[in-house]
Amino acid sequence: MTRYIKRHTLQTRITHDVTVIACILLAISGLFVFVPALNNLLPSSATFAIRMAHRVLGIVFIAVPLISAILAPKGVKHLLSNYFARWDKDDVTFIKRFLPYMLGPKRVHMPDQHEVKSGQRLADGVLFLAGFLIAISGVFLLVGTTFVTLDAGLMLFMRLAHDVAFVLFAVFGIAHIYLGAGVFQPYRRMGKTMFGNGMISESDALYHWGHWARETIEKGDKVVEVEDKK
Amino acid sequence: MADYAIFFDSSKCTACKGCQVACKCWNQLPSPLGLNANKPTHSYQSPLDLNGDTRIIIHFEENDNDKLWGVNWSFGRRSCMHCYDPACASVCPSGALAVDGETGFVRVSESKCIGCKYCKSACPFDVPRYHGAQSKINKCTGCLDRIANGGPVSINGGTGQTQAQFSVPACVHSCPPGALKFGPRDEMLRLAHERVAYLKAHEIDPSPHASVYGEDQLNGTHVVMVLKYPVETYGLPANPQVNPLTGLLGLMKPLTGLAAAATVAGLGISFLTGLGYKRDKMHYDEKKHEQVDLDTGEVLWRSDAVPGPAGDEDGEKDARPAKKGGK
Repeated sequence: MTRYIKRHTLQTRITHDVTVIACILLAISGLFVFVPALNNLLPSSATFAIRMAHRVLGIVFIAVPLISAILAPKGVKHLLSNYFARWDKDDVTFIKRFLPYMLGPKRVHMPDQHEVKSGQRLADGVLFLAGFLIAISGVFLLVGTTFVTLDAGLMLFMRLAHDVAFVLFAVFGIAHIYLGAGVFQPYRRMGKTMFGNGMISESDALYHWGHWARETIEKGDKVVEVEDKK
Repeated sequence: MADYAIFFDSSKCTACKGCQVACKCWNQLPSPLGLNANKPTHSYQSPLDLNGDTRIIIHFEENDNDKLWGVNWSFGRRSCMHCYDPACASVCPSGALAVDGETGFVRVSESKCIGCKYCKSACPFDVPRYHGAQSKINKCTGCLDRIANGGPVSINGGTGQTQAQFSVPACVHSCPPGALKFGPRDEMLRLAHERVAYLKAHEIDPSPHASVYGEDQLNGTHVVMVLKYPVETYGLPANPQVNPLTGLLGLMKPLTGLAAAATVAGLGISFLTGLGYKRDKMHYDEKKHEQVDLDTGEVLWRSDAVPGPAGDEDGEKDARPAKKGGK
């Protein structure tokens, strides 16, 4: 028997996964707008279709988290309480050891963490901010190039904001995928949590979020026992 | 790079709009044909502004001349100025706008245009216009196709030299009073300065405000104008400026590439150092409040609420091993 902890609800996973897919497709379609060499590989009708797809995907990127937040206000409150939780000594130690750990996980050992790691709070915080900036600037660019004529300076500023947000999104998004999809050896099987059934094994939970795992197991309501496959 | 320019002399322009018609004919740009299809402009200017099918318009403006009779009637040319360092081309993400190596004009490759309108935002003269139905940007190309057919020729203004039919832009070819010319930029500038000197020194109707426009503005443009009256009366900015954000936008592509490459490289190193990492299998006994390594049986953590061999006064601190969870 292996014990699992329910970490993410179905709604959380759907919101996350649809947003991730939208992000990846937005990045790919955005590259065809951003890089002339890629754009020139395709006929103009194809690049036009890609540009229109970028807009539709942008709406998905904005609408899905918004709808999800409206449907689950308690979840939003829980999320915010985790992200703005007061940092303890372990949180600070985690950040101090993060870079050495990433470059030598066999030598460096990380302290126990609460439901959201301190590093996760920082990195996801940047992703949230970049996402917010890219969404706002994207709306201005969409509206200003489709429905109304906006001030030229404002449009240039929004484009710069879109590009700056994309740099942040690209850097932190790649790192997020590296860790979240379990490419990094110590993070193996992490991808199944968000893209699978939302559960994490007891052992993995104790490794990543020691404080949270023990508290959750003590409460017992989110613990599931599954018979091992032979 | 060869350096050519379109010369426009506002003091000779009669505002016949032949240039507008010639531009539309050569470039096959339609005009509205329905009854009252053009919105009234309350002016001889028509249409009121550039649009997706109109690359050039003659700007009309009447001003008091401080005399008892007549007005100062400014006829201006409103079209692409073909800047030396075109902001439109620098922000164009698809490479649809680029400087033509033969003439210095800003060419438009329609097949590359993705209709993002960034050029419209960046242009200090507010010239590029979006053609909604085609989802393309439309602006003066300097009739590079005509010029390429005949090859650029030197136009000796005032000597009566015939211009080859397909060697000059359509607007220049059509201009009845010779207000438009085309040729090497140096020569066009020389003509412009000669004309300005003439206008200023005119014995009957001197023009003290006469000036050359396009020589110094934005480090020079490939449209050189002789303006008889103050610049503003021609619908032109006296001191056009490129928005500094366009320069920053130019940095974003290399910066993004560099940042992404550095991230991937750093994570690649991280991946290599993590190869072979094996994580211990752990279990938490909620009754004993102990976290144990399932392979070795070692107690890795014990609640400070539970006194015992692995948890003394410091409890949790001492119970926590130096090595946790992996090797």
